[in-house]
Amino acid sequence: MLRIRGLKKKFKNFQALNGLDMDVEEGALYGFVGPNGAGKTTAIRVITGLLKPDEGTVEIDGKDAFRFRMEVRDAFGYVPDEFGMYDNLKVGEYMEFFAACYGYTGLVARNRCMQLLRQMKLEDRADAFVDSLSRGMKQRLCLARAMIHEPKLLVLDEPTSGMDPRTRLEFKEVLKELCAEGKTILISSHMLSELSQMCTDIGIIDAGRIVLAGSMSEILQKVNDSNPLHIRVLEGRAQALSFLQGDSRVKTISIQQEDITIQFHGNSRDEAGLLEGLLAAGARVNAFMREQGDLESIFMQITNHDMEKVVMRGEE
Amino acid sequence: MPLIILIFNGLLAVVSLLNMYQAVAQVRILGQVQYSSFLQLYAFVATLEFLLLMFIMPALTSGSISGERERQTLELLFTTKMTPSDIVTGKLFSALGQLLVLVVSSFPVLLVTFVYGSVDFLDLGILMICYVTVAVFAGGLGILFSSLMRRSTFSNVCTYGMLLLIAAGTLLLNLFLLNMSSLRIRNMTVPLGEVKPAADSGGAVYLLLLNPVMTFCEILRGQVSGIIENVSLERFLGSGPDNFVTQNWVFVSIGLQLAVSLLLIWGAIRVLNPIKNEKN
Repeated sequence: MLRIRGLKKKFKNFQALNGLDMDVEEGALYGFVGPNGAGKTTAIRVITGLLKPDEGTVEIDGKDAFRFRMEVRDAFGYVPDEFGMYDNLKVGEYMEFFAACYGYTGLVARNRCMQLLRQMKLEDRADAFVDSLSRGMKQRLCLARAMIHEPKLLVLDEPTSGMDPRTRLEFKEVLKELCAEGKTILISSHMLSELSQMCTDIGIIDAGRIVLAGSMSEILQKVNDSNPLHIRVLEGRAQALSFLQGDSRVKTISIQQEDITIQFHGNSRDEAGLLEGLLAAGARVNAFMREQGDLESIFMQITNHDMEKVVMRGEE
Repeated sequence: MPLIILIFNGLLAVVSLLNMYQAVAQVRILGQVQYSSFLQLYAFVATLEFLLLMFIMPALTSGSISGERERQTLELLFTTKMTPSDIVTGKLFSALGQLLVLVVSSFPVLLVTFVYGSVDFLDLGILMICYVTVAVFAGGLGILFSSLMRRSTFSNVCTYGMLLLIAAGTLLLNLFLLNMSSLRIRNMTVPLGEVKPAADSGGAVYLLLLNPVMTFCEILRGQVSGIIENVSLERFLGSGPDNFVTQNWVFVSIGLQLAVSLLLIWGAIRVLNPIKNEKN
């Protein structure tokens, strides 16, 4: 659905994008994360045609986004981080204005607008002025506006910023419904815990390049596989340590009181084998648990440039 | 908008009716009809509408694009099927449409003069063309500065500043040069039997082709004599050149102002293109 290759963009002396490559498959809910200044907004502005890159290509639905600028505008809908509202318009008028911007007029436009307002649960606010809406309602209105022309791709830049937890939850449900309908969604956000719960794919950008990308389940699994393993031994510690030192998959061993923490590179089956080995060596194991990875830990590792701990090591 | 039309035409109607009442009262007292009062009414209404277009059109257009930028809706529009030319022409024609509705709605008041057989439809047609020209010219200036500036305040200031420069600046320059010419000629000695030449403002008179006020004054002088004699082309030309431009001043100036307006609109479209206008 979205394919980016070798994207570069420089502002005066600052290289905002430095060879960005990204693939967003059709039907995916793609989380696009990175620290401040990593190049997320620049990348989104290039994708939506608001900025021309110095180098590189962007393809949306198989078409070059700059050669076929007008055609690709049918393919995506954009929700920026700033709302961009016409406060003196009513909700219905706002929707009909943007419908007209895409060439929809008359009864077709009105029906389409009402259908989208119903989907976003805003149909009873059609005659209210836009500036009377709450923040969450405004964001849903922006989403409705972005879908007027039935785009295949939705590009959302920090859509949940400033929302309370309940509103964020409702918004997440809306996005999941849209994904289930077949929409492809690219969402840029700092709310990593939310992204890990709803995204199917993730791309982490740092210094203008993607440093880690893939499906959420694969990435979390790889992180898990490289996280420390905590073992508590009640009896037979010497036998346990001797066994662990003899296993080539155990990279480091640290002991703190009753707990032994090891860096163990292996999957779930290997973990089960290690536990069996410990028991066979005569150790009485009270606890055996792999530390669970999450998106925050990956993000912190990568953006601290501490690449040794990154999941990529698991592939060596 | 309906309320504005009502108030505007209501005021014009009151002025018109008072004028007619005065004329009728004069007939009763003096036993004669003062036709000039109807011509003065026509000139008054025509001038009011001209000033309305010239000063309100920039107010409507100079904040149109910069206002979108301030509301952060401009980039949203760029992601739709709207092109920069759609946005610029849409803003311009929306403002033009509003004001022209106001002008056209007041034509019945102007037509009061027909009761006593004054200006004809051709004159009204030329006046209408002049109105459209000044509206597009002033609107084009506003749209260009609105596209260039990030803030509506600066755009407003630049638009009115440029308009004053064109309307008043060119006139003042010509008046200055005319005075200098008059002084020079006064001190001139000529042989007996010869007449001193008339003072003129020289080549600067052609700058007045860009001045909508000058164009309007020339049209009104041609329709209603005895009006605005101080600001007349003949005064600035003196015994100057008699060529195609001076003989067809009104049409040449309207053509030139429309051409400049198109340039201003084209400039606004070029400036507005998000890909070409990125700041590095």
